[in-house]
Amino acid sequence: MPRPQQRTITFTIDGREVQVPENTMLVDAAKHGDVEIPVFCYEPKLGQPVGACRMCLVEIEGIPKLQTGCSTPVKDGMVVYTQTERVKTAQQSVVEFLLINHPLDCPVCDKGGECPLQDITFGWGGGLSRFVEPKRHFVKPLELSPLIAIDRERCILCYRCVRFSQEVAEDYQLVLLERGAHSYVSTFDGHPYVAPFSGNIIELCPVGALTSRPYRFRARPWDIEGAGSVCTLCPAQCNVTITVRDELALRVLQRDNIEVDDGWLCDKGRFGYQSFHVDERITEPLLRDGGELRPVSWERALAEAAAGLRRAGEQTAAIAGAQATNEEGLLLSRLLRDGLGSPDVDSRRASTLPLELYRALDDPRTQARLSDLEFADAVLVLAADPVNDAPIMDLRLRKGVRRHGLKLAVASPQPSSLDPNAAAAVRHAPGAGAPFVVALSAALTGAEDAERLALEAGAEPEAVRELAALLRAPHGEDSQSGDERRPPEVVILWGERLAAGPNGEAGMRALLEIADALGMAGTDGAGLLEIPATSNGRGLREAGVLPNAGPGLSEPARAGRDALAIAEALADGELAAVYLLRSDPLRDLPDGELWERALAGASTVIAHAAFLTEGIREHATVVFPAEAYPEKEGTIVHPDGRVQRLRPAIARPGSVRAEWQVLAELATRVGLDLGVLSGPMASQRLFDAVPYYAGMRLEEIGGRGVRWQEREAASSFPTADLGPRRDTAREALAETPANALDLAGFSSVWDAPEVEYSPALEFLFPRKKAVLPLSYSGAERT
Amino acid sequence: MAAPASPVLLFTDIDEPGLRTLEVYERRGGYSSLRKALAMTPEEVLEQLKTSAIRGRGGAGFAMGTKISFLPKGGMDKYLVCNADESEPGTFKDRELMQKTPHMLLEGIVIASYAAGTSRAFIYIRGEYELQADMLDAALAEAHAAGYVGENVLDSGHSLSLVVHRGAGAYICGEETGLLDSLEGKRGNPRLKPPFPAIQGLYQGPTLINNVETLATVPAIIAMGGDEYAKLGVETSTGTKLVSVSGHVKRPGNYEIELGIPSREIIYGLAGGPPDGREVKCWFPGGSSSPVLKAEDLDIPYDFNSLAAAGSMLGSGAIIVVDDSTPILDVAMKVAKFYRHESCGKCTPCREGTNWTVKMLERIDAGEATPMDIEIMASVQEHIIGNCLCVLGDAMAMPIGSMIAKFRDEFEAHIEAARARNGLGAGAPAQDAV
Amino acid sequence: MSTPEQKEIVETTEALEREAAGVVEGPVRRYAHGSRVPGWDQPADLEKEPAEIPGVGGSPSPTVPEDLRAEIEAHLAKYPDRHSAALPALAAAQRVHGWCSPEAIEQVACVMRVTPAYLDSVATFYDMLETSPVGRHSVYVCTNISCSLCGADELLEAVRRAAAASPDGAAEFNVRGFECLGACDIAPMASVDGVYVGPLTLEDVPQLLDDARAGRPVLPDKQLARRLVADPHANSQEYPLHAPEPARRGS
Repeated sequence: MPRPQQRTITFTIDGREVQVPENTMLVDAAKHGDVEIPVFCYEPKLGQPVGACRMCLVEIEGIPKLQTGCSTPVKDGMVVYTQTERVKTAQQSVVEFLLINHPLDCPVCDKGGECPLQDITFGWGGGLSRFVEPKRHFVKPLELSPLIAIDRERCILCYRCVRFSQEVAEDYQLVLLERGAHSYVSTFDGHPYVAPFSGNIIELCPVGALTSRPYRFRARPWDIEGAGSVCTLCPAQCNVTITVRDELALRVLQRDNIEVDDGWLCDKGRFGYQSFHVDERITEPLLRDGGELRPVSWERALAEAAAGLRRAGEQTAAIAGAQATNEEGLLLSRLLRDGLGSPDVDSRRASTLPLELYRALDDPRTQARLSDLEFADAVLVLAADPVNDAPIMDLRLRKGVRRHGLKLAVASPQPSSLDPNAAAAVRHAPGAGAPFVVALSAALTGAEDAERLALEAGAEPEAVRELAALLRAPHGEDSQSGDERRPPEVVILWGERLAAGPNGEAGMRALLEIADALGMAGTDGAGLLEIPATSNGRGLREAGVLPNAGPGLSEPARAGRDALAIAEALADGELAAVYLLRSDPLRDLPDGELWERALAGASTVIAHAAFLTEGIREHATVVFPAEAYPEKEGTIVHPDGRVQRLRPAIARPGSVRAEWQVLAELATRVGLDLGVLSGPMASQRLFDAVPYYAGMRLEEIGGRGVRWQEREAASSFPTADLGPRRDTAREALAETPANALDLAGFSSVWDAPEVEYSPALEFLFPRKKAVLPLSYSGAERT
Repeated sequence: MAAPASPVLLFTDIDEPGLRTLEVYERRGGYSSLRKALAMTPEEVLEQLKTSAIRGRGGAGFAMGTKISFLPKGGMDKYLVCNADESEPGTFKDRELMQKTPHMLLEGIVIASYAAGTSRAFIYIRGEYELQADMLDAALAEAHAAGYVGENVLDSGHSLSLVVHRGAGAYICGEETGLLDSLEGKRGNPRLKPPFPAIQGLYQGPTLINNVETLATVPAIIAMGGDEYAKLGVETSTGTKLVSVSGHVKRPGNYEIELGIPSREIIYGLAGGPPDGREVKCWFPGGSSSPVLKAEDLDIPYDFNSLAAAGSMLGSGAIIVVDDSTPILDVAMKVAKFYRHESCGKCTPCREGTNWTVKMLERIDAGEATPMDIEIMASVQEHIIGNCLCVLGDAMAMPIGSMIAKFRDEFEAHIEAARARNGLGAGAPAQDAV
Repeated sequence: MSTPEQKEIVETTEALEREAAGVVEGPVRRYAHGSRVPGWDQPADLEKEPAEIPGVGGSPSPTVPEDLRAEIEAHLAKYPDRHSAALPALAAAQRVHGWCSPEAIEQVACVMRVTPAYLDSVATFYDMLETSPVGRHSVYVCTNISCSLCGADELLEAVRRAAAASPDGAAEFNVRGFECLGACDIAPMASVDGVYVGPLTLEDVPQLLDDARAGRPVLPDKQLARRLVADPHANSQEYPLHAPEPARRGS
């Protein structure tokens, strides 16, 4: 459904006229008049108001009973009072009711100092309790899950946590049991509340009933500072606030950005911070010495690395992955291309596509915004399982279906956790994602061989036809009349693995055909949205970390090898050195066996790494300690083109140095002056290098990011000329056998060192299956 | 047995053997109102219901015709729900109808669904009424076979699928939105209003919810015409009403009365009054949720407006009589404990207020209270009334509040007596006793 | 308002109920079959897997008795939204298992394709759904206002005492004080395995329990089903009493 248009109306609150968008709920509208109406249960992120806590009672002229401000949409001319005796009495009585069974153990409560119940009691309570009976007492705190402790004495039964579980995450594991004053929050038969987004209930709780077990008793609100940042632990790049005490990250909280995360955070993002401060983290340079990696001085490490690079010269390749920033990507590619004269740089797990295809796929006219996932008429999910690839998008899709009538379609080789929400769930053969897209394109254009193509992709021809019909008219052919007819807003959310393997190119061409057929280019709210395989996959691509593209998808002076070819060349001795910027090929890339030989055969392996994962431990010659994201300075790019900014929030441990600095230093040592002396200078080089970032400033990016497609410079995007597209996909497909897709190296974001090394998340490892229902990681990885 | 003959619409020969079967019901003219209604347009049927001015018999007393006209027109899925979750203490009239003349209810539902344009209906019957639910199921099967319910009823083009849905024991499911949540398979928590069920009810669709008695009256209204029906009773309360009389009376049971007759005639004339030698101390005119009235109020006409003017309400038409042998504290305790048990727990004042009220009453009974606690208790009731999500909180606070207001002396005497038992004099702080 | 004697009876009954249910006392209270007695003071068992929809994804699928599955599926078919079948499905499972045990709930969850927590939340809301083990025969004694004015509290006490003395103990009877059952005309009354009987006297108690135990119609002469309407104007002639209800649930 398209986003609703709202008109502005005027209403009066406590004698003041205020202008607000029509139908804003009173509690929100009041804020425009600098009036605060207290709430406990109201949280718009959770859906429709429930009016349960009764804290927000206000008087409205013409209505005899007091009304709940959380559920009353403001109307033109409405006259509202929040300061009358009646309202004050009602609010005081609700506070009194809430406190009769609340233990008031604030001095030992983790929430103390940042507790809405404290604040509201102070601001709106009567200051006195007439309840002399003994309060209820329960055993506390109790484990609700490995991550969350529950204190049922403190619970005020606001329903927020259970509404989250039921109506946002839709895992329906956390519920209220019993009735009335006996009601309590719990799970079924003592099972723990373990689900990918469970940690959000800690933040939702307006009292100290749900607390984070890793954070319990670590700090008081007056000991800590909040630092805005962006989580780089997966491509979703949720905005976060890091709770810092004594330069350590003690907690990660969500930071509302409706264009990115809608105010939610997954448990990896919320608890993965512990991996920044564990003993296993590499905090000083390491050098292989007598077969073992041993700590050395920076000077020694840099000298050895530079020597290795100089020796290998043109025979050096580089792979950037995981959490590398745009700036690091740019500096790395310049080090290789300009410093060493080698064109062999790559950052993708999928094989390389022709440059023109990258340009066509990233064309700003066919790019969907993340929030379009919620407001589109239909979303098709291809070769992606959001909960495993970019978890927060899973919540966004569920919200679209639940609240806005979004028609969700899922095409996958096996059941997906989104199936129950989907209007269409189509199955195809394992590994046949690309042939499926070709078949869908054929069905959409009414091609004669549509049925044959569907069968070849292992899909029901009828199901493919129905899917095509759904995408053409998500709300039925007759849902709109005459003048209102508008093209459907369709978003295709696709995973990078769709472009992998020999059929990848065909798949991409078919995807573009579908975009054409659905008129995406001219339709606001429609478009393609890729989930890259690495957190900053899009940023590294735009920074030019591709074998066949320079910064801004420019034509490089010389095309180089892609990751697979690099591995082969290393194994064959054609290449001598490899630079691994936040990538462990044994873990992250296809064909581990080849990479094993490749790394073993390389004379120099330079790595930036935070943990000694297998490939690094066994093969690295020099290891530079990598920064955790809250230590970093730089920019990253969200899958929808939003350039986001990382700012240092905590101190780097040990002797960790900024990675841009390491790259710049090495460049200098091989004779290339990159002219980068500070983080902002590195960013400036990036903005200068990518034409469609032109004129961007860090201040402009700020805390919310900026989508480059929405800036003027977007007109400098090098649009592709694909020529007549028709049938190119099928031609491409015809050259390779079906089922030739190789998906190795595509793993769930939950299968990551940050999860493995965070003590709080350790429990996920033995149980990965339970937490990751219907994961792709099982069938497709092997 | 000195009661005036009143018109009988619902209870006519209700104990005739076999009335619950289609055969006997049809022999007595059953389903002729349905035929008559189907010969009219839905608008005409609705007009008859509006003219009859029948008000809902479930408790709120909202005009049925008006309620139907709130339903939006159009082809969306609309629902009719018959509220058979009769659980207001003291009420047992719907039980009698469903058990003995289930077809009358089914006929009323089909007519109402025709007028309201709904094609799906549910009877939500409380789970405890197993016998009555079985009777409804049996009657429904017969009616289905005979073509009164189902596809294309009597070739009229009107279709109605009807399901008897059994509850599982929760008073709050008698509240219309709690009922809807329960029917949707959830905990029976009431919903915020607006949106009202007529706009967004069951499965988010427009929904008409009516009580059993209201719907069972529909065939009579169609048979006699809305005008004739409106002549029964008094202007603001038309028709006959089933009244359940219980408690301290000689002949407890259901009586069909014409609205507007003096309450005394029901309690003394029909139900025989309290046992010999005892006097009426107080009475609930409309179930345990209604504020109590005293003996001096017995001459108030029994109709919606008169009882409201007297500070109480007709509610579900359940008169509970308490005689002078019972301490008011016991009555208050029963009422408060009931509502505490039945509070769904969703909103704060009801959940905490009912719980607190019971604790205060227990302290009074245990001799651990002072007269100041009566003030607190009265104030707590005031803080509940009007501030809750649904009417359950009010349903406790209003009768308790009325008992405190009308029997304050007795509460105070009880406190003093209980304190004396504990060896505490008047004026000693309550905390000492804890 | 309870006498020490009443309290003792309640405590004795509860202890008997616990014993019958095989509740093992200890740091974590468990039923004989090993699952936890749920409650306020219970932490989650971190060793357990999260309770997802049984049989979906990787979670194990319980074996559901065929009859129960068929009954639940029939209920599912009646409603536009499958969730609506929760109450009838849980009631059906309770008839099979005697109470809404964790196994019963998992079975319903499996057929309905919902999480067990959803059903547990529903089951604990409603008075007629039992979430701990109970005796085979239910005796709900109405103790609401009209019945208590007519002596229901004493009646409940007598039934409790008699049931507790029953040779089969708490496994035989599930005696509960119940809120208004909607039969104040026969106060004080009880619903015995779903059959309403009243007005009851203390003398009726042994017979009532015996009838229930033997699977006979309970106190046929006192069944509500037999009763004629009180309104003298209702019936135009004298009608005979209605037939008594047969026993509903045998042991």
